[in-house]
Amino acid sequence: MQKLCAAFFLFLLAATLALLPVTGYAEEPVLRMATTTSTDNTGLLDYLAPVFQHDTGIELQWVAVGTGKALALGKNCDVDILMVHAPSAELKFVNGGYGTDRREIMYNDFVIIGPRSDPAGIKGKSVDDALNRILKKGVIFASRGDDSGTNKKEISLWEAAGLGIPDRQNWYIQTGQGMLATITIAEERDAYTLTDRGTYIKYEVNNSGDPPLIILVEGNEGLKNQYSVIAVNQEKCPSVRYGYALKFIEWITSDKTQKLIGNFTMLGKKLFIPNAR
Amino acid sequence: MEYIAEGFATAIKLLVRGDPETYSAIFTTLRISSLSIMAALVIGIPLGFLLGYYQFPGKRQIHAVVDTLLALPTVVVGLFVYVLISRRGPLGSLGLLFTIPGIGIAQTILILPIVIALTATAVSNLDVRFRRTVLTLGAGKKRTAVTALYESRYGVIAAAVAAYGRAIGEVGVSMMIGGNIKWHTRTITTAIALETGKGQFAMGIALGLVLLLLAFVVNWILQIMKRKI
Amino acid sequence: MNNPILYEIKDLKRRYGESFVLDIPYLKIEWGMSYGIVGPNGSGKSTLLRILAFIDKQDEGTVRFNKDVPSGDSTKTNYDHIKGATVTMLLQDSYLLKRSVFENIAYGLRVRGIRNNIRERVHESLRMVGLDPGTFVHRKWSELSGGEAQRIALAARLVLKPAVLILDEPTASVDRVSAQHIKETIRKVRRKYRTTLIIATHDLIWLHEVSDEIMKMHEGRLMGSAEENFITGAWSPAPDGLWSTRLSDGQCIVALRPTGEQHIALLDSTNIIITTERPDHMSAQNILSGRLMHMYTFEHSERVRLDVQVSDLSLICSITRKAAHMLDLLPGMNVWVVFKASSLRWQ
Repeated sequence: MQKLCAAFFLFLLAATLALLPVTGYAEEPVLRMATTTSTDNTGLLDYLAPVFQHDTGIELQWVAVGTGKALALGKNCDVDILMVHAPSAELKFVNGGYGTDRREIMYNDFVIIGPRSDPAGIKGKSVDDALNRILKKGVIFASRGDDSGTNKKEISLWEAAGLGIPDRQNWYIQTGQGMLATITIAEERDAYTLTDRGTYIKYEVNNSGDPPLIILVEGNEGLKNQYSVIAVNQEKCPSVRYGYALKFIEWITSDKTQKLIGNFTMLGKKLFIPNAR
Repeated sequence: MEYIAEGFATAIKLLVRGDPETYSAIFTTLRISSLSIMAALVIGIPLGFLLGYYQFPGKRQIHAVVDTLLALPTVVVGLFVYVLISRRGPLGSLGLLFTIPGIGIAQTILILPIVIALTATAVSNLDVRFRRTVLTLGAGKKRTAVTALYESRYGVIAAAVAAYGRAIGEVGVSMMIGGNIKWHTRTITTAIALETGKGQFAMGIALGLVLLLLAFVVNWILQIMKRKI
Repeated sequence: MNNPILYEIKDLKRRYGESFVLDIPYLKIEWGMSYGIVGPNGSGKSTLLRILAFIDKQDEGTVRFNKDVPSGDSTKTNYDHIKGATVTMLLQDSYLLKRSVFENIAYGLRVRGIRNNIRERVHESLRMVGLDPGTFVHRKWSELSGGEAQRIALAARLVLKPAVLILDEPTASVDRVSAQHIKETIRKVRRKYRTTLIIATHDLIWLHEVSDEIMKMHEGRLMGSAEENFITGAWSPAPDGLWSTRLSDGQCIVALRPTGEQHIALLDSTNIIITTERPDHMSAQNILSGRLMHMYTFEHSERVRLDVQVSDLSLICSITRKAAHMLDLLPGMNVWVVFKASSLRWQ
């Protein structure tokens, strides 16, 4: 009886040890990144990470959170490098001494998407006009509501249109989630939403090229979406792997990688335009 | 309706073909939950036994507190541990955030009350005549305690199964502490949450099926053990 | 009796709140003897047994136990006997551990670190309680009837070859067949190993068969070791320095004046004379009319016990077989109950 118990316990212990990797994976060089859900959702990092590992031997691991959270992780020294797309917040971050070596790496643009039926009639209009119509008609608008780069952009657009943030309006829903998740919610609710083009193309692919929500407003000047990388300041965070972060920044701004970014397409469309200088 | 069926079909394909993302999530879940259940049992069974077996002042109050902790929301535990192990937190230098050991520790905290409370209940529900019987057969204090634990073994096994079920099925802790990093800390539950959010139901269904299978297997082992011991 | 003394109890007291559960000034238990305890529920029997079994403790007083007495018959067995005098107790409603029958019986042996011949000992024990080892050894605790469980509990204790076997109502909760087996087992154990027995039971016939000495308990006290009748009821002073009590049919019992505050009179059953015709020339002051209800004979005894109903009183009378034979007694007969006033003692 006691033998049975002992045997079972040993089995469980053995199973645990077997499942655990024998060598701690802290041995291999790892670079920890905080990035945005938009970037992650597109699959760009899945595309780039193996190449980075092949070229430098460093494994890239990333957590995908909103830009706001990413910056907080950097402040807390929980990550080594950031890849985000909220320029004014980024500048504040660097000026506050939390980050160094900021480099712009690529851009795309934001688009406003919505149902084909376009109940507020915003197709082809300017951003200001479109937002005004949505507000007047009270058609549902899905916001990220998570302090992400996209979210910050969206808020700035409402303010630029002189409308203020429709925080408590019942047609304005704040999902608090990532980009694809928010698009999914918008689709369910037949709503409008603001998204970066990269994620939209990914969404198109998921729907075999024929998605329920289509691009209605694009090409406006205020819709540029700039991505940058920032290393977490080693002086404030002695434990971060600054050397690896620098290597990554070097790598992603290199001609070779910039070309790779440009070649990252889906449905024959480019998701990001490299612009590192 | 068809996209549900489509989801199922793709799910089976993922499992059969050994899709690496899917299996990575499965093994991560198994690794973390094995760690947390072992730790919770090693710490929780003795504590639960002490709580249930001995009389001491404040016993009832402590039992009540542990019973309340049973229903701790996972996000609360996640938040609490996050604050502790983030680099700026008191245990930041250990570098546990976004790692499997980090999730393991947080999960252990989550399921420990289950093991303690249910073990204590099992032990204190021992028949009153047990102690007398064992004493008349010559057992001393230590022996009686050990025998008491063995007599309560069905309750203790049930506690372990309940705790394990909670561990493999929770998402709050894994998400907050793990960061859902692909290949590293993406578990079955965080992957399901992520994929569903992205609208990719096939992998979500596949993983959901595996989770159900896991729960089923654990329960089946429990039934076998009940008959054998 | 020159048997070695196993237990010597002095001034034993056990309280429950304000009152005493047990109040025993002196009790001696001799090795190899068999003691029966009777008394109503709540008289403290079970508590006393538990204290004798060392699973409960007294509040005051001493219990001296002599460990160095012979423990069972070691000549007949071919493996080690268990050292030291073991005391074990069988509860009325026995509890089996959640394991197989084999493990239940082997538990006591394992606790003592005995590792050899466990299988043979367990089998022998099962045979002793009348159960076939082959059938029962692998059964689980949940696969037994109440009577079988009780017998297995007994086997678990007998396997220890105890010097003292304490039994609290061993046959009360079991079926008749099992009860028979249990009684038979106890008889065997007594014969083979001279185990000291202390048995509490309501089964009066068996009690008389199996006990060398009978102790009555009432409200925590031992009321004499022989069969004594309790005459409770309202006693009041009577002429000639005597005291009397009136029974409901008008008959009176007289006794000598009590010395202190005691008001329970005890009448030893052997101090009663039974006649079938009213005696005229007896010096005894108590001559009562009653009816013989039951007669009991016991295996080893040359006495016969009679239960006689006198008015609202049930009296136990103990007479010799010869006397019973001469009187040609039959239950249902009207008899005369005769005893002296001085036969009654106060408690």
